[in-house]
Amino acid sequence: MALIPRRDQLPIPPKNAKVYNTVCQYCNVGCGYKVYVWPVGEQGGPKPSQNAFGLDLSTPQPPLAGQSYTETMHAVTVGRDGQQYHVVIVPAKDSPINRGDYSIRGGTNALTVWSLDRGTQDRLTYPLLRVGDQFQAITWQDALTLMGLLIKGIRDRDGNDDNIAVKCYDHGGSGQGFEDNYGAGKLFFAALSVKHIAIHNRPAYNSEVWGSRERGVHELNYTYEDARLADTIVLWGANPYETATVFYVEHMLPNIQGATVAEKQQVFERGEPAEPGYLIVIDPRKTSSYTVAAQVAPDRVMLLRPNLGTDYILANAIARAVWEKGYYDMAYLQARTDMALFEEYKAKSLKLSVPYAEFMAQAERITGVSRAEIEKAADWIAKPKAGRFKRRTLTIYEKGIIWNMKNYDQVAAIVQLAVLTHNIGRPGTGCGRQGGHQEGYVRPPAPTPGSIYRGGPPVNVDKFLTDGKGKFYWVIANDPYLSTPNNQVFRKRIHERTEKLTKALGAGGEPGTIRERAQKILDVLYQDPDALFMVVQDIYMTETARDAHLILPAAAWGEANDTSINCNSRLLRLYEKFMDPPGEAKPDWEIFKLVGLRIAELYRAEGKAQEAAKFEFGKDWKTDEDVFLAGAEEFGDNRVSEEDEAKLEAENYKGVTYKLLKELGQKGIQTPVRRDPKTGKLVGTVRRYTYKFGTPDGKFKWYGTDDWEGYPAEVAKYLEGEKARQYPFWVTTGRAQTIWQTAYHDRRLPEKALALPLPYVEVNPEDARRLGLQSGDLVEVYNEEGNGTFLVYVTDAVKPGTLFLVMYHWRGTSNSLVSGYTDPKTTIPWYKGTRANLRKVAGAIPSVQQTASVLQQNKFD
Amino acid sequence: MTQTLSRRRFVQLTAAATALFAAGGKAQLGYAPSLTYPAVKVANLSQVKTGQPITFNYPDASSPAILVKLGRPAIGGVGRERDIVAFSALCTHMGCPVQYEGGRFLCRCHYSMFDPAKAGQTYQGLASSWLPQIPLRVDGKGDIYAVAVAGLIWGRVKNV
Repeated sequence: MALIPRRDQLPIPPKNAKVYNTVCQYCNVGCGYKVYVWPVGEQGGPKPSQNAFGLDLSTPQPPLAGQSYTETMHAVTVGRDGQQYHVVIVPAKDSPINRGDYSIRGGTNALTVWSLDRGTQDRLTYPLLRVGDQFQAITWQDALTLMGLLIKGIRDRDGNDDNIAVKCYDHGGSGQGFEDNYGAGKLFFAALSVKHIAIHNRPAYNSEVWGSRERGVHELNYTYEDARLADTIVLWGANPYETATVFYVEHMLPNIQGATVAEKQQVFERGEPAEPGYLIVIDPRKTSSYTVAAQVAPDRVMLLRPNLGTDYILANAIARAVWEKGYYDMAYLQARTDMALFEEYKAKSLKLSVPYAEFMAQAERITGVSRAEIEKAADWIAKPKAGRFKRRTLTIYEKGIIWNMKNYDQVAAIVQLAVLTHNIGRPGTGCGRQGGHQEGYVRPPAPTPGSIYRGGPPVNVDKFLTDGKGKFYWVIANDPYLSTPNNQVFRKRIHERTEKLTKALGAGGEPGTIRERAQKILDVLYQDPDALFMVVQDIYMTETARDAHLILPAAAWGEANDTSINCNSRLLRLYEKFMDPPGEAKPDWEIFKLVGLRIAELYRAEGKAQEAAKFEFGKDWKTDEDVFLAGAEEFGDNRVSEEDEAKLEAENYKGVTYKLLKELGQKGIQTPVRRDPKTGKLVGTVRRYTYKFGTPDGKFKWYGTDDWEGYPAEVAKYLEGEKARQYPFWVTTGRAQTIWQTAYHDRRLPEKALALPLPYVEVNPEDARRLGLQSGDLVEVYNEEGNGTFLVYVTDAVKPGTLFLVMYHWRGTSNSLVSGYTDPKTTIPWYKGTRANLRKVAGAIPSVQQTASVLQQNKFD
Repeated sequence: MTQTLSRRRFVQLTAAATALFAAGGKAQLGYAPSLTYPAVKVANLSQVKTGQPITFNYPDASSPAILVKLGRPAIGGVGRERDIVAFSALCTHMGCPVQYEGGRFLCRCHYSMFDPAKAGQTYQGLASSWLPQIPLRVDGKGDIYAVAVAGLIWGRVKNV
C-alpha cells in the first residue's frame, strides 16, 4: 500500500506517562523536545484530563499553533527490565528556540531510539573482539583488561604516550556533552598525555576558528534574538535552511518578512529606523537559504558567488569599500581595538597603499564578484541608517569559511569586517559561527599547540598514521573512513596497518586468553612498526569499525543525562535520560573512567601507587552530575561583573547544578555564566563583547591577512596543462537537509534512506545538456585522489563548470576526492574545494532510481 | 500564490473548517490502513487533466486532499499512465495547506516539498513524515474512488 511503513493512528501518552525535558540530538540550533515514556499496553484518552499532553485530541490540532505529533515521533523500545515501552518525542512549545517547530532531522528523534522492530536494532550492545575475520562477543571485564594492558604496555615500553593516537569528538549534542568531554579530557590529558589526538571531523586537535579567537572574539558571541533584530543578516558559507533549519525559519525568515519590526522598535534607540531585514548570502552555490528568502523578499536579498577559496579577498574588499565610504566609527575603533595592530590591518588587508580603483579591479579578478556587488554589500552591511544610526548587521559563517582554503585568514577577514563596522556586542549584531553540532567542551589543558602564531601548528594525526607511526588508535564516536580528507588513502593505509596485526595474531593460532592476546599484540606492534591496533567506541558498527580489533558499545542520546550548549545563544540545558542504553552499552564518560581504573589496578599490582592515582580520576564519579560538577573546576573564577564577561571561557558554567537546570527547563541559562559580585546570584550572558574583547587588555587584536597566493599545490596541479583538460570541473561539497552527519541513524530509517539512497552530485543544466545527463542518472566522479558513484541532480544551485557533492554518505564519501591539503597555520583541511571529472556509468540501478526523488531542492517558486 | 500565509489568517481558515471527530478505542500499532475508511468518489477519469489538481475532502470534511494527474508514472498511481495520485493537502510538518505546483507539493509556511510520484516523500524542507498518500481505486465506469489514507493526517492521533 505504501512504499515505506506508514501509520494512520498513534498511541496517546496516558496521564501517568513519564515526562522528560530534552534538547534535540542533532544540529547547532538545539531545539527543545519533550519525551513521554510509558509501558506498552497502556494508553491515554482524547480528553485533556486523559492524556499527558493535556490536550483535547478529539479534534484536529490547529495548524502552526497546535502540537505536532507525527508518525516519526513515536517508537517502541525495550527497557532493561525486559518490558516494552512507548517513547514519544515531540517538539517543545515552551522552548524559546523552536517554539514547537522542528526540522526533518529532529522530527525523527523518536525513530532513532533502540527498537527491535526498526533498523536501530543494529545498535552495539556488548563489546566485540576481532578474532581473525570475525567479531566475537566478549565481556566488559575482558575488554577493559585488554585496553588496560595495551595502553600500559605501550607507555611502559616507550616512556611516553606518543604511540597512542586518538580521534574523539569535542562537542555537545548527539549524546555527548560536558560529561563525556570531561571524561575524555581526564583520561587523555590528565592521566595520559596524548599529543596525537584529532577531533572527530578533522586531522588535528585544533580550533576551527583561531582566526577569530586570536583576535579576542569567541565564535559564539551572538544570541538568537539578534537574528530577529538585525537590519542585515549575512550568511557566509552557511546554509541554515538546510543545516540550522529552525533557526532560519523561526528567527531569520520572520525578520526578512518584516514580522519582527515591533521587536526592533522596543530594543533600538529612540528615533532609530526599524525596518524588515536584509539578507546577504555569500556562497558559491545558489543555496536554498537564498532561494527561500528570495521568495519572501526578492528586493532585500542578495547572493554573492565568489570563486572557491577567495572569500577572504572578498571580505577585505568589502572592508575596503567600507573604509572608502567612511562607514566606521573611529571613536569606537580607538577605544576598543589595538590601534598599533590596526596599521597592519590597513596595510595588508585593506591595502590602503593601492589606489581604490586598482584594488577593486584586483578583487573583482580574484573573486569573480563585481565591484558594484561588493559596494552594495558594503552598503547593506555598514551604511549608516537615516539619522546617522549605525546599521546592525549579524554575520553568521560556517563550514564554507572554516573548511575553505586558508582557514585562518578566511575567518580572521570576516571577523575583522564585523569589528571595523562595530557589528558586534550590540543588539542585532554579532559575528560568529552558525555551528554544525552543539557544543560542550570542558577538559584539562591539552598537551597540543595552538595555531602557527601560538606554538603550532598542531600535528596532522591522519598523516602521522598514514606515515606508519603510532601503535594504538582509539576512534571514539566518529567515522574517519567517511570523514577524513584524502579519504581513499587514509582508508587504504589504516586497513593495511590493522590487517598486519590481525594476520600476525592469527599466525600460529589465535592467543587463548586476554593476557596472552595482549602480550602477542604488543609483541607484534614492536616487531612490525607498521602494524596498528585499532579500537572503535561507538553506537553502531561503523565503516571504520569493520577494521577494528576491539569495539566498545556506547550509550546514545537519551540514554544518560548530559548537558550541552547550543550555538546561536550558548544556551545550557539538561538533556534528561529517558531510557536505558541497549544491552551493556555505557556512556562514554563511564568507559573512560573504567579504562582509567583498570590501568590504575595494573599499576597498583606493580606497587606503583603514584602512577595508579593519576588514573583513578573517576573513582568518585557515581552519576553524570558528578562528572558535570568535576568539570566545572576546570573553569576560572566566574565572580566577575557584566563588564568583564569577556574574561570568561565561553562555556563557563561554574556553580550550575542539575537541580538548577531542571528548574530552568527549556529556558536554560546562557554561558558564560557569571556569579554576579553584587547579588551573588548566577547570571547568564545574553550577548558577548559589549564592553571588552577577550584579550588581556580587552582590545581587539587586528591581523594583516595574506595576499592572494593562488591555490595550494594539491589543487593547483589540476589547473595546468593536460590535467586542466582531464579534470575540468571545480568541486565543492556540503550537507543536505535530510540527513545528519554520516547518517549513522538516518541510513537505518526508510524515510531517509529511500530519499537519499546514494551520494549525489549537483550538475548545472548547461553541463548536463552538454554531457547528455539527466537527474537520476548515475555517474562516476573521479580525480587523482579518488572516486565515487553519484546520483545526478541537475540544478542551477551550481554554476556551469562546478559540481557539488554531498558529504559523508555511507555509500561513498566525497572526501575520497578531497586532497590532503591543510592550512599551514591551523592544520584545518579544505574539504570544499578540488577538481574532478565525471563520466556516465553504463546501466542503472532501477530499484534505487525509481524510489528516490530527484526533484530540484533549491526551487521554491 | 506566492504570498506567505500569515499564521493568524491560516488559523482562522482552518478553524472554520475543523469538525469534531471522535477519537475513541485503542490505538493499534499496525501499519496503515489500520482503520475502516469510506470509499468516496473523487472524479471520473474523463475529468482528470494532466497538471490540473482536483481538491476534495477525505476521509472527512475537515481533511482537505488533492488528486492530480502528474503526467509521469507514480508509485501507487492509477489510470492508463499510472500517474493519477491523491494526497492529504495538510503539510505533515505543522499542518499548513500544501499546493500542487510545478509537479510537486509545496508548503509555503516553511517550504517543505513533497514528490507526488515518489510516495509523497519529503525531498526538501522540514517535514519528517512523508505526505500521506490516499490510495485510489478505479471502477469499470472510470470513476475514481479514494479508499484509505496511508499515513497520519497532521494534527490527528487517528485518521478516522
